Amino acid sequence: MTADDARVSDETLIGRTAAGDPSAFDRLVRRHQAAVYRFARAAAPADDDALEILRETFLAARRAASRHRDETSARPWLLALARQAIDRRHPRSREADLTPLRELARAAGWQSGGDGAIDESAPAVEAAFAALPPEDREILTLCDREYFTVDEAARVTGLSDAAVRTRLHRARLRLLARLKEGDHGE
Amino acid sequence: MESERIVAGLHCGEVLADLSEHLDGRLSFDRAGRIDEHLDGCAGCRRFSGEITAAVRSLRQLPDEPLPPDVEERLAEALLG
Repeated sequence: MTADDARVSDETLIGRTAAGDPSAFDRLVRRHQAAVYRFARAAAPADDDALEILRETFLAARRAASRHRDETSARPWLLALARQAIDRRHPRSREADLTPLRELARAAGWQSGGDGAIDESAPAVEAAFAALPPEDREILTLCDREYFTVDEAARVTGLSDAAVRTRLHRARLRLLARLKEGDHGE
Repeated sequence: MESERIVAGLHCGEVLADLSEHLDGRLSFDRAGRIDEHLDGCAGCRRFSGEITAAVRSLRQLPDEPLPPDVEERLAEALLG
């Protein structure tokens, strides 16, 4: 975002988009397209077409601009639209993750000793993240990359606040487990 | 292999369940204080808490992947049509 672009709020751009101003819509797209793309790549299965999700998201945003009532950033609204686009293509399973927490934690080295060191290099973390299931990548993207609040992440995913917190904790444990697997060259 | 313990009135399993909430500062003042007390007295949980913190920190520090130029171009075309 350029300094000039930053002076115009998302709310203003959405309002102008609703009024039919194509340049406002173009600025809104340019401001958020990379984040929507990253979210699509994280939350959709690897073989999906992130460009198509991006296209559907912004077409839906243009159609729905007049109904947008959020007074802060447009980002949670746009990622919720992206989530809906992904859902249309890949209906989500509503099955709960029943793996006991201790089992997940032990896979990540809980109660196992060790020196506490993990490989924090970007390639190692990117590889560990990429190896996670889409639902883990989604919640980590929302909470630890976009820094959304629990409430914002709940709005995007359609989960309850409690489910967001549970899913985030479990995703972090699986990320740590993957990082440790990488550490041992497995 | 370590064994689960009770330190500062909390079982290691209770601390495990609260580690992310603690890391994110979402626990009550009293609960956070008890978790800290447990971590002070339990080397295994302290190590594991440090590992989760490091994993989250490393994820947060990844550079943002830019939008590939060809994707940006194709998106602009698709939104025009």
